[in-house]
Amino acid sequence: MKLFDVLLGRTKPVQPNLDHLFGLPGAEITLEASAGLRPTGQAGVCFKPATGQQFADTTSEVEQLLDLGDGAKIHEESDSYGYRWVVLADADFGDLINQVHVVNTTLQDHGWGPQLLCSVFGFEPIPGGAADATAATGAQKVAGTYLVYLYKRGTFYPFVPLPAHEKRDSDQERLLKVTLATDLAMEPDLERWFPLWGLPVH
Amino acid sequence: MARTRFPADRGLTVRMLTTVFLLGLLYALFVTVLFLVGLKLVFVLVIAFVLLFVQYFYSDRIALYSMGGKIVTREQAPQLHGVVDRLCAMADMPKPQVAIANIDMPNAFATGRDKKHAVVCVTSGILRRLDEPELEAVLAHELSHVAHRDVAVMTIASFLGILAGLLTRVLAYAGLFGGFGGNNRNQSSGGGGGQLAMVELGMLAFSALVYAISFLLIRTLSRYRELAADRSGAILIGQPRLLAQALVKVTGEMSRVPTRDLRAAEHFNAFFFAPAFAKGVSLSSLFSTHPTLERRLQQLTELEAQMGRAA
Repeated sequence: MKLFDVLLGRTKPVQPNLDHLFGLPGAEITLEASAGLRPTGQAGVCFKPATGQQFADTTSEVEQLLDLGDGAKIHEESDSYGYRWVVLADADFGDLINQVHVVNTTLQDHGWGPQLLCSVFGFEPIPGGAADATAATGAQKVAGTYLVYLYKRGTFYPFVPLPAHEKRDSDQERLLKVTLATDLAMEPDLERWFPLWGLPVH
Repeated sequence: MARTRFPADRGLTVRMLTTVFLLGLLYALFVTVLFLVGLKLVFVLVIAFVLLFVQYFYSDRIALYSMGGKIVTREQAPQLHGVVDRLCAMADMPKPQVAIANIDMPNAFATGRDKKHAVVCVTSGILRRLDEPELEAVLAHELSHVAHRDVAVMTIASFLGILAGLLTRVLAYAGLFGGFGGNNRNQSSGGGGGQLAMVELGMLAFSALVYAISFLLIRTLSRYRELAADRSGAILIGQPRLLAQALVKVTGEMSRVPTRDLRAAEHFNAFFFAPAFAKGVSLSSLFSTHPTLERRLQQLTELEAQMGRAA
């Protein structure tokens, strides 16, 4: 932050970085080839709802825009932290990314970009692949594999929750970080890899 | 180009800048006068610098210790950490350490000289009284203090106050025990001793005056920075109303809890309800480190209205 802003006690709302999302198709190929993972076809956009009619109008516009797209199934829900999730489903990964982008840009165009927290993409083991716990590969049984995109940082991090209560597979997460390093901008600061328990995305 | 819904509050900016400028001017004036008088200042300056240094580098630990705050891990307070994680991701700032002080008084504070050494502490009293969204609003306010580097700014700003206060005390002490002018210093010129006494008395008065003015300016600056943190915090969560709710709840609770025997407090009432000496400015509001609840709620209401308006 600039000295002047410090002196005046000012922070500007942070605008989201939307560019890096388009690195995901490359990451899909890498995950399939070297980690035995494929997209579940679900993604979620998480944002902090603001008060007032303006924000309500913007979110209903998002819903309308997504309803027009064929094949996309959406539902919305709020989490225990007071953030809202738009959950999208599309069997085609490229289309799914586009749907996410519709939500992002609609919010940003109306000046609500700073409300965006993260988006999450779900992955599952390919049967018989390296990540399949039922195959004899030594893979651990996980409750899901996710790629989380941090809008304000423009970086991704993997989130692999375990079936046990609020436990995550840190080894697998670190492995995925290294695997994806060439395709995506991965978040270097591990402090920012916050857990998202009870994700509405599968 | 992405649009932003919130233009900077120009009035607040100007007021804060004026206060900082006045403080700087006072500082320059003070140092100049000290220099002209030529007192042996090295000692006083060294002490003041050491105090500043300690305050600056150990502020996180000092504040935590004095409030009895304990750093809590994610396992100990998952919900609290979850809220801070998300707010930091929204504001794109490194996550500060999270602490809980086992005090029933509802309060929260942020400390640490920069974002890397920051600690955000809440009392168990505030955890018990506020619901989740209100707590989030309070944490957003505290994180804004961290982002604005308020500990560093206020520590450096209060340096002058420490210096002047220290000098006042040293001079008064010297006057009390050594006698002004120091009769053992120069026996040969009686007139010189008298002159020196005058200079020292003058310095004492001047230091006291500088201390008083810097005290008021620092308090003013502190109030502006509270307003700035309210503003940034409310914008961060997008719901100014929640911060207003939390403020009302915390302030209400604070005044309702009797802190001392009511009979004993009677004597203090005269001081607390000091008559206003200027229209609209009461003594208590001038000395206060925080703006009045009304002033804070007013700003939040304005922000709330701004959110509803078309961008």
